[in-house]
Amino acid sequence: MEYQVPRKFPTTVVGSYPKLEPAKQALRKIRKKQASPDELRGLFVEAIRGVVEDHLWAGVDIISDGEQTREDMVVYFAERMNGYMPGEWTRIFDNVYFRKPIIYGKVEWPGPLTVEDWKIASSFAEGRPVKGILTGPYTMLEWSFDLYYGDRREAVIDLAKELRKEIEALVNAGAKYIQIDEPALSTRPWKEEADIVKEALKIMLAGLDVKKIVHICFGKIEYILPYILEFPVDQFDLEFKNSNFRLLPYLKEYGYDKELGYGVIDVHTTQIESVDEIVEDIEKLMKLGILSPEKIYIDPDCGLKRLPREIARQKLKNMVEAAKIARQRW
Amino acid sequence: MTVWGMILGAYPRSRLARYTLRDRERGILDYTQYTSRLLMIHSEIIGVQKAHGLPVVVDGMVDWHDIFRPFIKRWKNVSIDGLLRYFDNNFFYRIPVFTGEPDPLEPVWLPRIRQFKNLAEPSSLKIVLPGPFTFVNLSQNASDLSKTELAESITSILKSEIELVKEESVFIQVDEPLVGDRRLSKEEVEEYLDYWNEIASLSSENSAIAIYFDVPRKEVFDIVLESKFKYVSVDVIDSKRRAIELLEKTGLPGHVPVLGIVDARRIHEDSLDDELLTMIKKLSKESHEIVLTTTTWLDLIPYTYALKKTKILSKFVDIVSEKIGLEKRILWR
Ligand SMILES: [Zn+2]
Repeated sequence: MEYQVPRKFPTTVVGSYPKLEPAKQALRKIRKKQASPDELRGLFVEAIRGVVEDHLWAGVDIISDGEQTREDMVVYFAERMNGYMPGEWTRIFDNVYFRKPIIYGKVEWPGPLTVEDWKIASSFAEGRPVKGILTGPYTMLEWSFDLYYGDRREAVIDLAKELRKEIEALVNAGAKYIQIDEPALSTRPWKEEADIVKEALKIMLAGLDVKKIVHICFGKIEYILPYILEFPVDQFDLEFKNSNFRLLPYLKEYGYDKELGYGVIDVHTTQIESVDEIVEDIEKLMKLGILSPEKIYIDPDCGLKRLPREIARQKLKNMVEAAKIARQRW
Repeated sequence: MTVWGMILGAYPRSRLARYTLRDRERGILDYTQYTSRLLMIHSEIIGVQKAHGLPVVVDGMVDWHDIFRPFIKRWKNVSIDGLLRYFDNNFFYRIPVFTGEPDPLEPVWLPRIRQFKNLAEPSSLKIVLPGPFTFVNLSQNASDLSKTELAESITSILKSEIELVKEESVFIQVDEPLVGDRRLSKEEVEEYLDYWNEIASLSSENSAIAIYFDVPRKEVFDIVLESKFKYVSVDVIDSKRRAIELLEKTGLPGHVPVLGIVDARRIHEDSLDDELLTMIKKLSKESHEIVLTTTTWLDLIPYTYALKKTKILSKFVDIVSEKIGLEKRILWR
């Protein structure tokens, strides 16, 4: 039962979703070393099923597993890859910490990391495509400590080679959409940094017949925009709503012509965007006259993990309604 | 000609510190229990710096959630909003929101200086203030004040912080990390020279301006060099090539160089290579005094590594003293 993704304004998600109760329970047990992730598979399956049900209820076209097994986007991969060891507590804000991972040897892919979750999500998806999502090599390095490579480019390239194996595993399992998350790139928006990421993306994505997406959020994306346009990807998925669509004029200025994941849902506020508001925000992009509706994917700014579930669900539903209206209008 | 070392800013929280703050938030510790625990934690940090022969020490500031928070908590007409990424770190600060003219209810530093002065002796304590440029531009202005009025107002409060501790022989450091943003133009910073000078002239012999996370453009750095701060602190490691280029081009005429040469954001064992030694040697010909420091605050790495970095800094002071022939200073005053 192949699902037909709408030709115009397909809707999607960036990836993470609020942790549902079974996932919370499981992560708590893992943290307290009371059980291994494998023993808790059932809880995670239940959580992923809940996420997929919410996505289907809202009517999202291209969905995700909600990253229910990932406590943190970097730590999840770091804890499982060879060459990494768990770090000590490092502050992230206020009195909140994460175990910032440490690279202490050559990084190595240990075998599939996200494929199982992807398969579970797909099994509940009623034919809708599920995005394969992984944290990119640049962010993996920037948000870890490095005691082995010393050279940033070298570390990123090695990570890219290993993460390519994960992408291949996802593609072999049937994933048609691959998204690489690189939020750290916007924090160092210089050409030399973008060049490292470009090289890494070539390694990860060359020759694969899938939709290739890079997600970047936070920061002043306008500074890297001219450099990332040369990345070997089909689509950038970017934040717009939270930064009040500041980026729009730059898209025109730099002749943006790739597909665009257009972030119209603010993930930092519990205020639910109304359908009308989202339609108006889509209009802002349409008015620029730079992209046809076929190239515009409607989605939230970023992952929804920090929102309460009820709010996240409703935000997605309004987003889908708005996209339906947009399809009639443009 | 002398060389000495100091840590640039706050220390990270040890396990005890994390639990102390958490238990206070949860109401498990009362105010007295909380302050006596904090005293213990800060004493340890001061002790570590003294043991490593640092003539100027920070109290550790482990109770600060970010550089602005202790100030705005004590000022009227400022609240805090959501989290925003702090420069290129995986660390977030809460955005100060000014709803009117800020009005201090109590000072941040005076009570700390009173509390830690004896503990620090014979070393001197350092007070660290968020500079007006960084403060204004990393905040949200929801008041009727113009940006200039807000900058003036913040400057005058920072000045009052210094006035209150002036008699105490403390080292004063004004942090302007945003000045290091390489995208800034001269015009964006120029206006702040007056504010810096108002602050610096209160205590010109013992005040520093600290720029970190990145290296400013030359035209912006030239404005910093016009300021009356005796000490100018630069992050030499994060963009090493650009930092060395800048310092070779401009030097630090009329100022004492404070060189961030211990990487405070990464945990590897630092090394003092020939390139750095050559640069330090060159700068030491133009200044009777060289200060070595960490590239930024130590609170972005885990506590155990912060202790290691303190040791590395002290070792670097020894190396520079030996190899360049500068006298190592153990007392600042
Ligand atoms: Zn994001």
